[in-house]
Amino acid sequence: MWSQVSQSLHESMARVISRIATLLPGILAFILAVLFFAAIAWVLAWLVRTFLNAIRFDERLARGTNAIAEWSPTYTPTTLITRVVFWCIVLVGFLVGLEAFGASSDNLLSARLLGYIPNVVGAVVLLILGNVIARFLSRSVLIGAVNMNLHYARLLSLGIKWLVLVLTAAMVLDHLSIGAAIVDLAFGILFGGIVFALALAVGLGSRDLVSRSLEREAARPAGETMPEEQFRHF
Amino acid sequence: MAKVELSEETKAGIEEVREADLLIAVAVPVDTEQLRTAATEAILGTGQSISELRTVVAFPGSTGVDAPMQAKTDLESGEKPGLRFVPYALPAASPERIPWLPVASTYQTLFAMARELGVSACAVIGFDLAALQTNFLAPMMTAVLEKGCDLVMPVYALGKFDGLLNSSIYAPLTRALYGRRVRFPLAPDFCLSSKMIPELELALQRANAQGQSTFWAATEAAIRDRTICQVNVETRHIPPADGVDLTTVLSQTVGSLYADMTTHAALWQRVRGSQPVETLSVPVAPPADGAAADTTPMVETFQLGFRNLQEVWSLVLPPVTLLELKRLARPGTSRFHLPDELWVRIIYDFALAYRLRTISRTHLLGALTPLYLGWVASYALEVGNASPAEAEQRLEKLARAYEEGKPYLLSRWRWPDRFNP
Repeated sequence: MWSQVSQSLHESMARVISRIATLLPGILAFILAVLFFAAIAWVLAWLVRTFLNAIRFDERLARGTNAIAEWSPTYTPTTLITRVVFWCIVLVGFLVGLEAFGASSDNLLSARLLGYIPNVVGAVVLLILGNVIARFLSRSVLIGAVNMNLHYARLLSLGIKWLVLVLTAAMVLDHLSIGAAIVDLAFGILFGGIVFALALAVGLGSRDLVSRSLEREAARPAGETMPEEQFRHF
Repeated sequence: MAKVELSEETKAGIEEVREADLLIAVAVPVDTEQLRTAATEAILGTGQSISELRTVVAFPGSTGVDAPMQAKTDLESGEKPGLRFVPYALPAASPERIPWLPVASTYQTLFAMARELGVSACAVIGFDLAALQTNFLAPMMTAVLEKGCDLVMPVYALGKFDGLLNSSIYAPLTRALYGRRVRFPLAPDFCLSSKMIPELELALQRANAQGQSTFWAATEAAIRDRTICQVNVETRHIPPADGVDLTTVLSQTVGSLYADMTTHAALWQRVRGSQPVETLSVPVAPPADGAAADTTPMVETFQLGFRNLQEVWSLVLPPVTLLELKRLARPGTSRFHLPDELWVRIIYDFALAYRLRTISRTHLLGALTPLYLGWVASYALEVGNASPAEAEQRLEKLARAYEEGKPYLLSRWRWPDRFNP
């Protein structure tokens, strides 16, 4: 019996090793592809950076709209573009490596997983963009609302943030083909719910404020100076 | 770097005039009829030595192809034969810009015209025609032509609560940075000599290349060690009440001041203390103050800002400053007082955050508004019953606080990563 157990173990061991051996060329091809494309990416990124610096890209961009600097304050447009070029090429290398890996294996599961990877990459990009946009918009609304002296500034800011995050989450799940109709339905309910809640909160909360403001305006004698006009800032 | 290209109409006008002694450069859109009257009266009121000089008035013509020349013909039916009017095309400005603040490209066009005409002095009229309608031109031009000043800035007679952005930020900050005590460094009206024109053109080319649209003539003169003079004038500009909101004005002007700081960092880091600027003519009495100012809305905005903007402020300000602001924002504080040292540190820390792009610059400058309103409230409470002279002394104290706080700015600027409690 022990000899049978030993033989069985040896056979399974041999199968695993032969399996790994069949995968090795694929793994090696994957690593080589990623390294090769990383090297190309590095060279291209260097070329792009040199070219953009030579044409003073940052200065030229600053003359018009400064949108890139606003959305990504810590990086210059040149750095951002260089990094995008680098990571795009590395991503291509990653996909080429996966394709090489897939070609070396005839497993159905790995083929399906490989086909799913572009969806995952797209979803990750959507998630990152959604987070950046949510953070930027919520901060813009918060600062704008405070400067307009709105007491529900934080509520507005949070509302905007969650609206964008919910929208992002729905898009990500849709991109990953998870949930299908349930996600659409849930998103519609949640999104509508947030908008409705905000409308109720702002509408009911500021009803008294608006009526008081209108009463004050109607009761003010003609020619009376507004308190704010006593100060000239410029 | 490319120089500004003048329009065909402007070139034709300059060729017709050939050369002139003075240029009155109107930098904002104005009514042509009012301009004709105001310019003629202003020149006639300057006295013989100036009124006899060949003077050209540059004014923004209409945007239509034939409109500028038409406007020129209409204007030349004036009373003074030596006065010529030449139109120029006002550069297209972003709709988000402050409408009454000329953009750098406008100054570029005007200085190019001054160069082409070979004038000895140029008077820039910004904001509106108030400068031409008051006793402005004669003392300003005299300072350039007879006293040898390169740049003459006006000293407006303002009330205690007028020009507060200038009093709290522009004037004391530029004084501490560049070492010249110019009372209104962003004055819309100023005069300059022919020597300054090519230098300012170069500065404007650089400013345009860097995307800056607000131009600080006094700063450029100070860093070039030019003779700056000041003249007390009666002119008053009243910004339209329904115009641009405070946050926009603050963002654009303070933002450009911070951008200038970044550009000239190597220069202002060497400047220590400040030198007074010669002020000509007798001071003009400021307008009478109205009723006591109500500071409650501004204090409320400051407190609201503290409750909501801490996450933004904490990225910019060190903990000790936040602690002091917390103490100040506490409801029921008997006397709202923002110390000068604290205000100066806030302005310097925001300048550093602007340079380092700690957060989006729009957000950064937007987050400064509640703090500025806090300063205005504190100042208004302090000088509410004071005379204009006492208020001026109070602003002088603030300016000294800026100078005394400069080592803090230098330290933060040079070693931004150093621990700052």
